Amino acid sequence: MNGAPLHLEPHLEPPLATVLRAPAFLHTLVDALGSPLNVVLPDRIAANVDRFRAVHGRHSLAGQVFFAHKANRSRALVRRLAATDAGIDVASLGELQHALGAGFTPDRIVATGPKDPQFRWLAARTGVTVSVDGEGELTGLAALVRRHGLPPVRVLLRLSGFEAAASGIRVRSRQSRFGTSVTQLDGLLDAVERHRDAVEPVGVGHHLDTTSLDEKALALEGALHAMDALRRRGCQPRAIDIGGGFGVNYLADGAAWDRWTTALTHAVLGSRPPLTWGGHGYGLRAEGGTLRGALGLYPAHRPLAGPAYLDALLARPAASLGGRPLGTLLLENLYDLYSEPGRALVDQCGLSLARVLEVRTTAAGDRLVRLAMTANDVSLEEHGVLMDPVLVPHDGPEPAADGAGSDGAGPAAHGVYLTGSLCLESDLITRRAVFLPRPPRPGDLLAFANTAGYCMDFSATRAQAQPVAHKVAAWEEDGSWRWCLDEQYWPLTPSGGLTA
Amino acid sequence: MRYDSITDAIGDTPLVRIDPAVHGLRHIDLYAKLEMLNPFGSVKDRAAWSMARPGLPDAVRRGATIVELSSGNTAKALAVIAGMHGLSFKSVTNRMRVPEVKELLLLLGAEIEELPGRSECLDPTDTEDPLTLFHQELARPGQPSLHTDQYFNDLNTAAHAAGTGPEIIADLDGRAPDWFLACVGTAGSSTGVARALRAHDPAVRVVGLVGEKSDFIPGIRTLDEVHEVGLFDPATYDTIEAVGADDALDGMLTLIRRCGLLAGPTGGAAYHGAVRHLRPLDDGLAAEAGADGRRRTAVFIVCDRVESYLSYIRERRPELLGRPPARNSVATLTDAEIRATTVIDTTDARKWIAAERPLVVDLRGPFAYAALHIDGSVNIVDELFDELLRGGLPFSKRQPVLLACPVGEKSVRYAALLTRMGHPDVRSLAGGIIAWRDAGAPLVRD
Repeated sequence: MNGAPLHLEPHLEPPLATVLRAPAFLHTLVDALGSPLNVVLPDRIAANVDRFRAVHGRHSLAGQVFFAHKANRSRALVRRLAATDAGIDVASLGELQHALGAGFTPDRIVATGPKDPQFRWLAARTGVTVSVDGEGELTGLAALVRRHGLPPVRVLLRLSGFEAAASGIRVRSRQSRFGTSVTQLDGLLDAVERHRDAVEPVGVGHHLDTTSLDEKALALEGALHAMDALRRRGCQPRAIDIGGGFGVNYLADGAAWDRWTTALTHAVLGSRPPLTWGGHGYGLRAEGGTLRGALGLYPAHRPLAGPAYLDALLARPAASLGGRPLGTLLLENLYDLYSEPGRALVDQCGLSLARVLEVRTTAAGDRLVRLAMTANDVSLEEHGVLMDPVLVPHDGPEPAADGAGSDGAGPAAHGVYLTGSLCLESDLITRRAVFLPRPPRPGDLLAFANTAGYCMDFSATRAQAQPVAHKVAAWEEDGSWRWCLDEQYWPLTPSGGLTA
Repeated sequence: MRYDSITDAIGDTPLVRIDPAVHGLRHIDLYAKLEMLNPFGSVKDRAAWSMARPGLPDAVRRGATIVELSSGNTAKALAVIAGMHGLSFKSVTNRMRVPEVKELLLLLGAEIEELPGRSECLDPTDTEDPLTLFHQELARPGQPSLHTDQYFNDLNTAAHAAGTGPEIIADLDGRAPDWFLACVGTAGSSTGVARALRAHDPAVRVVGLVGEKSDFIPGIRTLDEVHEVGLFDPATYDTIEAVGADDALDGMLTLIRRCGLLAGPTGGAAYHGAVRHLRPLDDGLAAEAGADGRRRTAVFIVCDRVESYLSYIRERRPELLGRPPARNSVATLTDAEIRATTVIDTTDARKWIAAERPLVVDLRGPFAYAALHIDGSVNIVDELFDELLRGGLPFSKRQPVLLACPVGEKSVRYAALLTRMGHPDVRSLAGGIIAWRDAGAPLVRD
């Protein structure tokens, strides 16, 4: 094995690619607002909606694209989204209030996930569509509607546990703690009939936490059968909500991802030096020379992701329905397609910045780069997303082109570990060595690209009384970058709402 | 040749020389070991029989299910062996990506269980990979099973060390080949054959062929995946080289079209990998020609046949399975023909239906039609209608026809085609059944 740098270069598209080429702008932001700092790019979310809409168009399908709000709590992204024709999927009272306040009308909101009474009340009162987990929630919702004399609430019945209809093949799905098993559909439909005065079933829904197209296709096929069961009960359901999980392609180069994962395999088996802190195997381990375990990483290079994944899903044939493609079946059954992309809808919509505080070499020869940021501020490791940060050099002349750091090794000869600012051994921002174009120096910024989906402030805390990152919205106007605080953004560009 | 049982016909497969005009090697004779001629169709017949055989009497007594993690050939052989002994067989897999293989297994009476894919929202605390769950279930009491465990079972290797390897030596007049090249799946055949050949002549060079990571060749593991295989020992191989799916298909075509060997993609990968590895060595032999004048030999394994991989080929090389253009096809319509077609909106369609009773043909699938349709319509699903039209006009010219599909896109094309075929009064429902519904017109369920 040679020591060639194992890059995992992020896949960048405009405007994310463009803002990363504006180092002075990024340094000014961090100088003013501190490190860490999150930057969201609201215009990109609108472009992403268009891409999903185009897939609907290709299959002649009506319906709605609901942004899974939990992927990012940004006000700017949600307000920008409200200015499009997309919907939003909220999973808490706070998210529902946020969506309503950002300008979403109730017909564009779906409330999903575990709900407390307050969340359920506001959802029913405002008339948003409620995705109900099962008979218990349906009964509770109906009681709430009757008690307060509310109009009937539109509900989606969340289903799970789909199994292949074909005999002889059993397709196992990941266990889910949400939804009603399709084997108990009859009981749920009985409850729907009992509560027809208080709830209006608009359709069925599911969300499968899997990258597998086969499982998702199977679930959609099951949903088509469930819709038919609803129709047989005299209901007129209109929509199938297929949830999200369409994925994001994080990396520029599939071959680099292959090289890196092969190197990890060899490192775990001991046939090359470790490329992770403490020989961490990301779920892999060696037993008697054989590799065991499962790679606990997001498949960072995904040629089929986002809208293209949805397109492929709709093109899949349904074995139990004459082999017709799923998209055709949705269309000819006159159903609307609802989807709830989270990560995929905020693809390329933001980045996280951190200042380099210290660079040092341990006695064992590992190079550590300490950042003004904790691992919770950019939960890339927690979500198993591996991408190299982009080095944003500090303003001023580059020092003499030794390019090698103080120890005289080649610039790319070995990687660095990025550590956080918590006084905890475990506060590592990367558990793997990352290779940068040159060793970073105090004052440089590292930009973690494409973090808007779950990897921005999903897990941010005030542990150790450290500041939580500020968040700004940025957009390009007449060739220069403009920004405002996230909470001050309204979609009134061109001036970020300052003059309009 | 007479046998008491089909399992006696496993092994003793032919070793066939590849015509040098095909591979172009001047100093090396290249032989294909035709494991595809085993009775259940592949090299895995040997391993399956070797692994299952010792446990069969006990399994029959307990009524056990034979269980294996397999996506193809091992499952095929085990399904047959299980059936012959009155046992059931279950194949657990997350790799079965070729539909025909799946269907064939069902035909053979196998049960298939597919493992779930990876989580989209990673839960790093979830260390339970699907395989761990599989092993836990096998260990659970009260579920009698015979787990053949092909990736770890030494009997897999032993079948080739005792069979395939010695057969090659015997067919080469008692000499081991100079090179042996094989694709690595369970590593059983390559390890077993290498063991036998090296015992005979330690100088034999062994080349392991794996798939490229970014693609997939049925039956072969990639460079990383081979490390998950218990039988895989890197020391078995002098070199390990990767073959791409495209190259495997090229190799397969050469074997099929020029050598008369109806090999599948894995055999193609072995052929391609063999020639690619040997060519520079052959050139080297030319440079030192006359040093000893001895011709060298190389052997690769053709592990199964092509027939089960048609959809795999269709996906990657559709042109190889091309069909001639059909008569009366909507694909041949011009925009002008489509624009000239009569379309009729819901209001006018309802009046027309009441006045002239046209035949209403609903082109949607039967599932959708059964749920809701225009009263009195007939359902001919588009793909059937398409075939029907190839034969000519299916309606009398005196019978007016209204075509309906979901949004009016398909129906207008078929209306145009019927018009071209000479029908004088065919119309398409504008906006389709969706527009009909949105206009509040009645839809019924019979």
